[in-house]
Order: sequence, then C-alpha cells, then structure tokens
Amino acid sequence: MTIDPRSPFGLLLTAICIIAFAYLILPILVVVVAPLGDTGYLAFPPKGFTLRWYAAALDDTRYLSGFLTSLQIGGAVALLSTIIGVLAAYGLSRYDFPGRSLIEALFLSPLILPTLVLAVSLSLFFTRTGLLTGTGRLVLAHIIVCTPYVIRVTLPVLRRFDRTLEEAAQNLGASPIQSFFLILLPVIKTGIIAGCVMAFITSFDEVVLALFLASPGEPTLPVIIYSAVQLGFEPTVAAVSGLLVILTCVFMVLYQILGVARQD
Amino acid sequence: MTATGDLARQKGRGGPSPAVIPVLIFAPCLIVYLVLFVWPQLSLLTTSAFDKGQLSGVHYVRFLGDEYYWELLGRTLLLGVCVTLITLVLGVPVAYVLARMQSRMAALLLILTTFPLLVSAVVRSFGWMVLFFRDGIVSNTLQALGLVDHPLQLMYTLTGVIIALAQVLLPLMVLTLHGVFKSIDPDLEFAAMSLGASPPLALCLVTLRLARSGIVAGSLLVFSLAISAFATPGLVGGARANVMATAIYEQTIEMLDWPFASTLATVLLVFVLALSLLYGAALDRRAKSESVA
Repeated sequence: MTIDPRSPFGLLLTAICIIAFAYLILPILVVVVAPLGDTGYLAFPPKGFTLRWYAAALDDTRYLSGFLTSLQIGGAVALLSTIIGVLAAYGLSRYDFPGRSLIEALFLSPLILPTLVLAVSLSLFFTRTGLLTGTGRLVLAHIIVCTPYVIRVTLPVLRRFDRTLEEAAQNLGASPIQSFFLILLPVIKTGIIAGCVMAFITSFDEVVLALFLASPGEPTLPVIIYSAVQLGFEPTVAAVSGLLVILTCVFMVLYQILGVARQD
Repeated sequence: MTATGDLARQKGRGGPSPAVIPVLIFAPCLIVYLVLFVWPQLSLLTTSAFDKGQLSGVHYVRFLGDEYYWELLGRTLLLGVCVTLITLVLGVPVAYVLARMQSRMAALLLILTTFPLLVSAVVRSFGWMVLFFRDGIVSNTLQALGLVDHPLQLMYTLTGVIIALAQVLLPLMVLTLHGVFKSIDPDLEFAAMSLGASPPLALCLVTLRLARSGIVAGSLLVFSLAISAFATPGLVGGARANVMATAIYEQTIEMLDWPFASTLATVLLVFVLALSLLYGAALDRRAKSESVA
C-alpha cells in the first residue's frame, strides 16, 4: 500500500470503501433478512422473528415449479452453449483463414447487444416464423446470450495450450478426434467448467428474454418474482428471493473450495 | 520420422479430409448465429424502416416529432450519466484500494464484489424497493439526519432508479478498473511522492492519468448497460419514471406495435453501438500506451 491508511487521505479512501461495500451488500441483505420479521409486511430492519414466510415460500408449488423450470432451462442452455462455444473457440484458436477475426467478432458481438434489443428482435422473429413454441424459444434465445461468454472464457485457455502435446499424441498413433478428447479436453477442462457455470448462472438469472419469450404456462423463477413484486410486497416473494441469495452463496463457496482444491 | 509417425499420417488420411473438419467445427455456432442473431437483427431494422410494405421513415418521424419521446430519450441519457458518475465516484477508490492491497483480504473483497453479479437483478431491485418504500429505512434515516423534512418518496422516481441501478452496475466498474490499476506499477507513485508530491496529488498526476483510458472504457461500459437496463427501471421506476427500455417493453408486449417497438429498439441500439465503438477505441489507446511504456 503506497498510502498510509492513518493519514486523512487514507481514512477518506477507507471510508469510501466501507460505504461502497455497504451499498453493494445492503439490498441483498434486505431480501434475506426482511422476511424474518413477523409483522406481516416487509420492513427493514425486521421486527420480531419468524420462519413462517420462509416455510410458506418452500411450500408454494408455484415457486418450486418456477425454480425447476429455470433449472431445466439453465441446464439445457449451459450444455448446448458450452458444446457449440467450445467447438467454435477450438476452431478460432486452431485454424487461420481469411476472415477469422470477422468470425470472432461476430461470435462475441451479442456481448455488446442490449438483451432488450435481442428480446424484441427474437419475439418478432419467433412470431413471424412460428419456429418452436414455449420453453424451446427461451432456450435458443439464452444460447445466443451465453455462447459468447463460453467463447470468451475458453479462447485464451485454448490459445495458451501447447499444441506439441497433441502432435505427440498423434505421432503415437492417436487420431485427431482421439487426441482432442484425450489430450486437449483434460487440459482445458477448468476453462470449460468456468464457461459452463457462467452460462448456467446467466441463463438462470436472466429476466428480460424470459419476460418476452417464456411460455405463459411455464414461467421461469425470475419472471415469477418480477411479476409478483410488481403486484405487491408479499413477504413470501422476499423469502423466495432470500432463498435464491442463500443458494447462490452456498454455490459460490462450494465453487471456490472445489476450485482451490483443484489448483492445489 | 519414425514408423509410428507414418502410422499416424496414414490414419489421418483415412478420416475426413482436413478441409472438412474446420467446417464441421464452425457449423453449429455459425448456423445458430445466422438464424437466431443476424437474421432477427436484420428483420428488426427492416421492420422499423417499412410501412405497409413500402420503404418509409414514418416510424422514425413519429419518434422524432413527438416531444414525449424526446423526453424519454433525455431521461434515459440522464439515467446513464448519473449512474456512471456514482459508479465512478465509488468504483475508482474501491478498485484502487483493492489493487494495492497485499493481503488475502483483497481476494475476499473481490469475491464480495463479484457476488452481487450472481444474484439476479430482479432480486437486487426488490431489495431496493423494500428500502425505498414509504417509511422505509432510507427515508427515515434521511429524516433523522435532518437532511429532508418530510417522508422521502424514492419508489417510482428517477432518483430511486439511479440509486438502485448504480448498485447493480457498480461491480462491473470495480472489476474493470481493478485490472487497470493492477497493471500500473506502484513504484511510479512512490517516485512521485519522493519527489515531493502529496499522496492525493501523486494519485491524480500519475495513477489516474495512466488509468485514463481504462476509466473511459469502464464508464462507457456502465453507461451503455445503464441506458439499456430493463429490470431495475421496470420495478423501481414503474410507469411513472419511464425510460426507453420500459417504453420498448410496453410497445412490444402491451401495444403489440412491432414497427414502432423496432424503431425504439433501433434508436437504443444505435446509441449502444456508437458507445461500444468508442469503448473499442479507448481500449486500443490503452493497449498502445502500454506497449509504449
């Protein structure tokens, strides 16, 4: 640290950091803590203590089926976008051909396109072509949003990969396909897992495309929460949101522990 | 070459010919992108530019001729500017402190910064709604501090949307700037200070100057995400603090006015594309200044 933390300027920096972290965490803390209050309406800080709203959230089949829908869509999107994304990243890292940087720019371009604009154009597209119905539309839409993340995470890993390893395997008699699965995939596994997890979380949390495209009979969890919040401030909705936050927390801790374990 | 090498080449000749493999590798991604990305985007543009089967600017004239939409665009840009300023004021110090911290604490704080990104924007906006509601803690605290003398209504106001959206986007600013500050050698600050500059002056003259194009890039990123964000303005702002994003949703889902919704979406897209070109230029400048240094 170049700045003495006890100097006035150092204290100012520390104060801004404390305010910034409080600001970042406060609204997330609120949805976890507010449904613990037993006043019957949402307040922060909560008054009294009850687990009634959390129990009600777990009991409500609407939220559970929304959770399962989101889980299924997230799983399908993570799997499909990882497959096509890793293939594309492999091709981009491996072959040099005219127009390669153009293809790379095309594959990454959904990152800068506002999801809302994509939502309008895909609604228009699906309505006009009548392609697929219901959940299938949302899966396809999420694939467009998630594949660029997979490519962006795996491409640097693939570019760093030492290709002589693959050549050695092929000299020893492996076919290109064998060396892809036996040599390349294990080496770049961490990058693929990171891309896959990112795709899953993006799809699971995503609400804009889901609001435009999810089938009314099978809304995803973020859509259910969005609609419920618009109608009113039920403590049960806050409890569902709180459960999501806790689940994300557990997931993140597990990912860190497993990641650290693998590095060791 | 050994016998096994010859064997490998023979095996290779037996499989699909080399030119076919790259095509097969790119095919899934290319097909998905052409059908679900390029085609819909093109049809969005044509939908906004046609009226009753004829090329026409009528939808754009409707947008430009109506004061309501000018106000909408102005409010959206104001939202973008305010959110960018808040994330800068908080993000620059936080990113700097995290980049200069040596302990394990820095890694922990970085995880804490990333965590909100994993929680859906819907959930985070909901948290703000609880805080903003009449007699919410924000209003009560401000009253207790004597900063306002009546219950402050932040729900369904642009101010509320700004506060909530800045929180949603702050992690992206911090993560972008963290990388920038990490790449600046702290010895440069020591050098400036040993030549007599006070720490704040050394930071302004050396670190912030070197980080300039990174800061510009982070600001453009946050700005373009802020003007196209939907969930937070939709929930915290509602119909009373309408912005471009919520208007586009209204035109698509409630009015089913596809041509006009496409027009609004195209206007938004033009702004975002212009900003991302500037973003690319800022990153280029940064790469160049680094290669010179």
